[in-house]
Amino acid sequence: MEYFDSSRLNALVLLVLFCVFVLAFIQRARSGGNLFIRRIAGLNAIEEAVGRATELGKKVLYVPGIMSIDENQTIASLAVLSHVAGLTARYGAELDVPNKDPLTFASARETVKEAYLHAGRPDLYSDTMVHYVTYDQFAYTAAVSGTMVREKPAANFLIGSFYAESLLLAETGQASGAIQIAGTAEVAQLPFFVCACDYTLIGEELYAAGAYLSREPAMLGSIKGQDWTKAAVALVIVLGAIFESIHIFPGLKSWIGIN
Amino acid sequence: MSNLAKLTSIDRRWIFLLIGLGTLIPVLLPIGFPVRVTAPVKQIYDKIETLGPNDVVVLSYDYGPTTGAENDPMTDAILRHCFSHDVKVIALALYPLGGLTSLTASIDRITAEFPDLEYGVDYVNLGYKDGGQATMKLLAEDFSGAFPNDTHGTPLSNLPLMQQVKGARNAQFAISVATGIFGEWWANLINAQYGLPIAVGCTAVSAPKYYAYLEAGQMLGLIGGLKGASEYEQLVKDNYPNTREAYANPMLQTASKGMDVQTIDHLIIIAFIVIGNLAYFADRRAKRA
Amino acid sequence: MFLKVRLPILLTFFAGLIPIVAFFFKDGTPYVKTLSSSLEQDMVIVSGFALLLGVVNVVQGNVRKIERREKGWFYAIVLLAGMAFMGLFGAAGAMRLFGLPGIGMMADGRPTPFQWGSLYLFTPLQATMFALLAFYIASAAFRAFRIRNVEATILLVAAVFVMLGRIPIGEPLFGPITEWMMQVPNGAAQRGIIIGAALGAASLSLRVILGIERSYLGLDKSE
Repeated sequence: MEYFDSSRLNALVLLVLFCVFVLAFIQRARSGGNLFIRRIAGLNAIEEAVGRATELGKKVLYVPGIMSIDENQTIASLAVLSHVAGLTARYGAELDVPNKDPLTFASARETVKEAYLHAGRPDLYSDTMVHYVTYDQFAYTAAVSGTMVREKPAANFLIGSFYAESLLLAETGQASGAIQIAGTAEVAQLPFFVCACDYTLIGEELYAAGAYLSREPAMLGSIKGQDWTKAAVALVIVLGAIFESIHIFPGLKSWIGIN
Repeated sequence: MSNLAKLTSIDRRWIFLLIGLGTLIPVLLPIGFPVRVTAPVKQIYDKIETLGPNDVVVLSYDYGPTTGAENDPMTDAILRHCFSHDVKVIALALYPLGGLTSLTASIDRITAEFPDLEYGVDYVNLGYKDGGQATMKLLAEDFSGAFPNDTHGTPLSNLPLMQQVKGARNAQFAISVATGIFGEWWANLINAQYGLPIAVGCTAVSAPKYYAYLEAGQMLGLIGGLKGASEYEQLVKDNYPNTREAYANPMLQTASKGMDVQTIDHLIIIAFIVIGNLAYFADRRAKRA
Repeated sequence: MFLKVRLPILLTFFAGLIPIVAFFFKDGTPYVKTLSSSLEQDMVIVSGFALLLGVVNVVQGNVRKIERREKGWFYAIVLLAGMAFMGLFGAAGAMRLFGLPGIGMMADGRPTPFQWGSLYLFTPLQATMFALLAFYIASAAFRAFRIRNVEATILLVAAVFVMLGRIPIGEPLFGPITEWMMQVPNGAAQRGIIIGAALGAASLSLRVILGIERSYLGLDKSE
């Protein structure tokens, strides 16, 4: 015990509580329990967007954010990409996935290849669908904006971790007339996506996307566990605010009879 | 449809033209609006004022030339403040383009104004290292783990200043002038895990996000965008007369001059919002009629 | 099956678990802290090498474009030439090969070829891209800020107050309101989203560590 950092006990308690909730709900989901997950409009619109691109004979552009695979938003984005690629494979729509990070690029390529294989259309898959552009944020933005302007994709997916390029991409896409579905947990970029895109996945909706789309019980169970942890955190925040208020305002102490 | 209602679908290039003029004219004909200092910026200034001659500030250039117009005046003002107040600086870059273009250019520019400074004793330029959060955790423990040599190839063991502090956690204060997520990493990794006081200078777009960290006490202060940079410039100019000559240079593009552009452009955007709403109501009335 | 499925999931499990465990131990704890620290160093090395993968793909893609004379093939030549110029002068300059004087400024104050490319080509192009934001923010604000309903009106009023509070002529009146808006309502909303997103990220991490979420490996759930 001499090595344990006791100042982090609170984090350990939350971690254990979180794991217990998540694992319990995964177990419950696997044993056939019914788990309700609210409707997420942005995710329901994916099929409509891919369908529109197919009808118009235009491509679907999927931008998986600009961060590497060690960023959770990128992993969440790849789960959505897997679904989108499955749909483009089924409908025979053209898919274009430009990448900024080399590790994300390697993962995205495997994800798309697998999705086409799983959809029974490996013949439609080509390595050029998922390609690398550059490691530089704004050179990447220029390249993707150029694709939007020249090739006018019918559907743009901007899902993952975005920074200053968010509005540049979303406004260019808006001007090109594409249906746009965005998603990020970067709070500073959310207003830009909300202004310029048709649908926006906000924060945790992005992380829940993979589970929502796959409908796999184990994945849905983890979302439910996360919600319960959030409720517990909210309760702790409210209790903390009450106790802190009592501490700050002595009048409150005497009013409720504490010395 | 009335002429006013037609404005709802105005060609966006008219907006672009006016914004372009609103940017160009104040650059050519500076106005010089006054600057009022806000608490989040003053807190950073005050923290450096409490430091002594043996104290060390880590200044991380977590941005590139892209956001240089907003971020360069921040790093320049912080360096001028530290060097004028006789505080030592360890400068480094975690953003790919921050090392060569922003960090080295800024260090060269500002140290030229302070000829008495000695490299390796008063300041060190560690250069850029890839790896983001992993590098940040390494340098918090031990600078030499992430940067075996400084940007000139000198081993850190040969630099007296680097013998004074083993890792960033041993410094007195760290400031990340950042684009994107880097400032959050400093708050979440370095402040939360090592307790080192940190502050962030960020682009105006990112500023709202950092207020949550500021209010939670995870950051000591915040320089938000060009406005924050102009406030820091004002504090340095007011309190250190030796810096006034540099700021008086008409060729120097300072944040204070940039505020002229920001003022005009904000007013243009507000005017367009008002026009957009008048047009929207005229359009609605026309459709009802 | 083992190499494609089980090994990556096992590696992910341990690579994810070690830093979490190390977080709860004091500095100097044998094995745990060292292992966690060496994992962080490995990540730096892997991310450096991964860039090569991207470079190879860019070269392949653009050479193919030139060979097939696809639309815009000329720009592919410009791209490859730029990459060769900066890549060669950057790598060879940093190692001071072929008598190159490094990648920064030379002793006489003149820029090295790499520094010249950075300062006079790359930096202005970069700054131009970021500067476009000012134009796009204006056009997005014109389109989005309409008094359509109560929520949109609140958004509009907040935006105008902050814009006025951030400029010298509006600051005396709107500055304190802006600071209050940024610190209180904005801070509260940001925290709500950040806490929700952090729990979402933690939940996703747990799914990844336990091998439930594996789409990033290109694996199907049935594999």
